Amino acid sequence: MTTVLNHYLENIRDKLRLDFSEEREVINELETHIEDRLQELKEAGLPEEEAAETCLGLLGSAKLIARQIYEAHSQGTWRQALLASMPHLLFGILFVLNWWQHVVWLAIILTLVLSTAIYGWWHGKPTWVFPWLGYSLLPVVAAGLLLLYLPKGWSLLAIPLYFPLALWWLYYIMVQTTKRDWLFSSAMLLPIPIITGWFLAVEPGGRFTEYSMQRVYDFAPWIGLSFLALALTMAAFIRLRQRWLRAAILIISGLLTLTMVAYYANGRLSLPAFLVLILAMWGLFLIPALLERRIRRSGRRFKSSTGHQLLTASVNGNVGEVSDTKGSHHH
Amino acid sequence: MYGYQIIKELERRSQGYFKFKEGTLYPALHRLEKAGLVLGKWQILPNGRQRRYYYITTKGRSKLTVERSQWQDFLNAVNLIFQPASP
Repeated sequence: MTTVLNHYLENIRDKLRLDFSEEREVINELETHIEDRLQELKEAGLPEEEAAETCLGLLGSAKLIARQIYEAHSQGTWRQALLASMPHLLFGILFVLNWWQHVVWLAIILTLVLSTAIYGWWHGKPTWVFPWLGYSLLPVVAAGLLLLYLPKGWSLLAIPLYFPLALWWLYYIMVQTTKRDWLFSSAMLLPIPIITGWFLAVEPGGRFTEYSMQRVYDFAPWIGLSFLALALTMAAFIRLRQRWLRAAILIISGLLTLTMVAYYANGRLSLPAFLVLILAMWGLFLIPALLERRIRRSGRRFKSSTGHQLLTASVNGNVGEVSDTKGSHHH
Repeated sequence: MYGYQIIKELERRSQGYFKFKEGTLYPALHRLEKAGLVLGKWQILPNGRQRRYYYITTKGRSKLTVERSQWQDFLNAVNLIFQPASP
């Protein structure tokens, strides 16, 4: 197949954003179609380059095909929608029923979150796993909060170690999720500004006292309600087909839930803090999109550099050496 | 039938009237498959290449009967409209 057609298929692959097995099947099917068409055109007497150009014209826009295939595959089942909204629902129930005070319930839910996230991660990263992954970052956040309670000298020692590790972990999870689809990454990060909003409303200083616990108790129904709003958002997100609708529901739900936090916090969330949280929400929504562009650009640069080396080596009759170079790149 | 074959068949049966961007056939086939109206199966050809063949399902066949009857009704209605008015 010619470079133009390979580039066309790569272009479709880049925009599909399906899971790996589905993506491979779609590309194989289109590849077979292209081969059949090319063969027919060449048998009709067209030279290779012209046959490739004609084939490209007959196929239609790569962007349109990728979008339509995405929409044919993207809609999750009701079961997937329920599974995706489950971690939000569990945390919602934890607060609505005031079970957050019981260490046993907290431990059960955290274990469930971690084990489900690990299970999903090792079983092909299905669409429902990303909200669970987001919550699996909670122990990292909790460890950070506990550092505040260490004696002063220990805090100074632990914080420079903790922050790079925590940021690396967050970055790693984000990159892995964004590789599949940046919208999943944005959906995964959506609870962060909302949880931070409640945290600031309960204790702006970050140090929990007995009064803070009383405030959590007072706010618990509304904290639960905001988690339930997130659960509904995730269910709708999984059921929607169009990307723009998925993005819109994340933005609208994020803004409304954050407004709900400010409203029910009874003035304990200041206007500047609210505005900073809105900005953080936009940032967390857009960072995965920028990250995806970066990942794809570096992927393309890697492909073109190895392709160029392969071409140069094949001209020089030196392919074995290039395979080694390619291997070292992968390493 | 497989995708390329469907396109050729559409072109042949419509005597060249139906010509569309070939790539857009696949999203349509995938939508039908998700709806359970057709079933896609990979088959290995004698030359080692793989092809995805589509088979109509029972659900697809009953849907086709309904759609075909609706189309026939629509066609009859349009024919009646275009008939010269009786004096």
